[in-house]
Amino acid sequence: MARVAPFRNLAIRASDGPAFLAGLVIAVPVAATLVAGLVFGGGEAWDHIRTTLLTGYFVGTIGTLALTALFILAFAVPAAWLVTMYRFPGRAIFEWLLILPLAAPGYVLAYAYGDLMGVGGPIQSALRAATGWRARDYWFPDIHSLPGLAFVLALTLYPYVYLTARAAFISQSVCSLEAARSLGASAARSFWRVALPAARPAIAAGLSLSLMEAAADYGAAEYLGVPTLTYGIVRAWTSFGEPATAARLALVLLSLVLSLVLFERWSRGRRGSEQSSRRWRAVARAPLSPLAAAGATMLCIAIFLIAFGLPVARLIWRSLETSETLAPIGPALMNTLILAGAGAALAFVLALVIALSQRAAGPLPRFARLAASSGYAIPGAVLAMGALVVLGLLPFTLTGASALIALAWVYASRFTAAGAEPMVAALDRAPASLSQAAGSLGASPLRRAREVDLPIALSGATAGALILFVESLKELPATLMLRPFNWDTLAVRANAYATDERLAAAALPALLITLAGLVPVIFLSWRLSRARPGAPE
Amino acid sequence: MTIAPTSLSAHDVSRVYDGVAVVSGVSLDLQPGAITALLGGSGAGKSTLLRLLAGLEPVDTGKVCLGDVILSEPGHTRAPEKRRIGLIFQDFALFPHLTALQNVSFGLANLPKDEARSIAAQWLSRLGLGARSGAYPHELSGGEQQRVAIARALAPRPAAILMDEPFSGLDPSLRGTVREEALDAIRAAGVPALLVTHDPAEALESADHIAIMKSGRILQQGKAADVYLKPQGADIAAALGPVNRISGSDLPAGLLKQAIAPDAIVVIRPEGIIPDATSPVRATVVSSRLTGPMARLILNIDDLQVTSLVPRALALPAGSETGIQLDPELSFIFPSGDS
Repeated sequence: MARVAPFRNLAIRASDGPAFLAGLVIAVPVAATLVAGLVFGGGEAWDHIRTTLLTGYFVGTIGTLALTALFILAFAVPAAWLVTMYRFPGRAIFEWLLILPLAAPGYVLAYAYGDLMGVGGPIQSALRAATGWRARDYWFPDIHSLPGLAFVLALTLYPYVYLTARAAFISQSVCSLEAARSLGASAARSFWRVALPAARPAIAAGLSLSLMEAAADYGAAEYLGVPTLTYGIVRAWTSFGEPATAARLALVLLSLVLSLVLFERWSRGRRGSEQSSRRWRAVARAPLSPLAAAGATMLCIAIFLIAFGLPVARLIWRSLETSETLAPIGPALMNTLILAGAGAALAFVLALVIALSQRAAGPLPRFARLAASSGYAIPGAVLAMGALVVLGLLPFTLTGASALIALAWVYASRFTAAGAEPMVAALDRAPASLSQAAGSLGASPLRRAREVDLPIALSGATAGALILFVESLKELPATLMLRPFNWDTLAVRANAYATDERLAAAALPALLITLAGLVPVIFLSWRLSRARPGAPE
Repeated sequence: MTIAPTSLSAHDVSRVYDGVAVVSGVSLDLQPGAITALLGGSGAGKSTLLRLLAGLEPVDTGKVCLGDVILSEPGHTRAPEKRRIGLIFQDFALFPHLTALQNVSFGLANLPKDEARSIAAQWLSRLGLGARSGAYPHELSGGEQQRVAIARALAPRPAAILMDEPFSGLDPSLRGTVREEALDAIRAAGVPALLVTHDPAEALESADHIAIMKSGRILQQGKAADVYLKPQGADIAAALGPVNRISGSDLPAGLLKQAIAPDAIVVIRPEGIIPDATSPVRATVVSSRLTGPMARLILNIDDLQVTSLVPRALALPAGSETGIQLDPELSFIFPSGDS
């Protein structure tokens, strides 16, 4: 009996064709990069980069990732634990407020902090005014450094770990903690020995996701002057015009990302994290002593202000203060909406095809879903590289419409998973017997897909579509590499102003990107607060 | 360190949530070496009483004592980790990241590692899990998980054991054997033990004492047989199994020997209504259905329908007529208003 199922699962059906095509569309850019990196031999600039720059890129990337990971854990885990387990003033607000920093991309925070912490910025000015020192009289942390980059990236990426850790702490069996205490463990020992290890796989998953995002960052690294691999890839193309070199660098970056994926897998190991509990009891949040409660509130306020409040307030201030009018932003805003809309639409269709195909267990639907989730892990610069390689083989020049189509393709290749996964989750929640019931009532496979699976998948689609749109809108490195000449998006404009040290002008586009990013983040946090196990229906 | 077993007791304890007394003036004495079942429906306050005893929640009035030592009183709650009271949960609450052996060793942190491991291993083999000590909880069956939870609770030699519906998560075919093994091990530990359950059969089969709880109060407590055979109210009788509840005015003439007030309530267990061809009280069999070893008869006596449970051999076909009599040990009369 056990022999039959695998064979059936290997069957390739004609109905899997669309899923296979979707998977192919997503997988081609990364496959092209791999082939180019291995076959093209690195190009003329490769020897120069290998001998003079590669070590710096590699050390810069590894150092940034390691330090970012430390910062993220330090912000996210204590905040998640406090908010889940204890009562203190403002707790209910912080629960979702602490997710908001996800809205601002790393480069936006980098610009804001570059402005806040610069010699002429408000912090140092206030320090000098208070002490009477002059600029050379004192040491001040330099944001234009590797620790500065790690700090800024951690501020925008810690919510991934905060969310996964909080979900793990919420879903842990409260009975486990009570059992630990009945066995003589203090509250602190219960946290270190029971709650934290049980949440470790979730924390590792959130951490590897956020580090993949950190590895994909271009804008913050460029602005803060930290050489990383992604920075190197974009530069190899934009400065040297060397796709072969960029592809080589992309290969190095890919192996780094792959090791992050492997780290996440390895951290799951054989140990379980699923609770034996089938019964969910609300976490009875323990009250804190007045001093500890004040400490918890202060910590949450500090994290929120540093990660979101201060930099966004600074951007707002700068936007209002600047004499730059909305006029130069108008076309960029239009371009952004068109491009993000096109990318999101393509990704949405691919996501829908992949999600619906998952009802059938076969190699092609599995391939399509795998392709989508791998694409999500791969930096935009790498995918753009692949698109350039493919376009180089075709009789197209990278201008006008073909460049825009290539960009929408890269967005879809990178972000489809973000749209597909909520739909797959919606389908998974509905029992397979629904479709079987429809079959027993005489519905053909097509009608079952259209009238049963599709409406169910679409219940997860609003979130998916929002994420797709905003992710496309925030994308910077691929857009820089592929956009048609003079076709600026908000992200490209902000980047251009910031690198010219025109921070006041960069503030408005940066702010608009952040505001757009807030929409899905608020939507998601609202959904999360309702979807919690045990929450009233 | 050996401490002579002593009783765990609650004296007049109450717990109020949002103005509602979930546990109200409850006194309960758990004797060493005896298993006391706390029986009641959902919302009766059983689990809250257990949490008060465990120190997971503070008492609003009264006190919880272990022997002469006060564990809880208003304004003072000795922390759960300082009580030496073992807990066993319905969902087992095993630590998912620790093996069976590590789970059982968890409460032995004050012992040298080797000693803790060897004690934990002994407990696992005592419960028949010697070969599974390296397995993680998700690799164990439900019954195995429950036995690990019991070994974990017993290994630190607790002063008392509290069990919250510990067997209701198990497959019915498994429940009987796991329960027997588990309760044998707990009895052998010789400490007070509380078994919270909503299953009257489980309470009667497993416990030495039974306390019946409803709406935050204990209605009756005592030896299991006493509570079953001498219930102090109609609700208590009903809590220990199905009953026929008949008001005095509806009672068919001749069914009871003595005269009773018309507003009295007569409670008769189904197995207390016995077919007897010679009895002058006549009944028609409305339906007859086999329910395992016993047959359930619905009988009509002067337009009054009652349920009778009889051995299969005594079952009568539907439509037949018979005389009936009552088993006085299983029939109870309560004055009006006393439910």
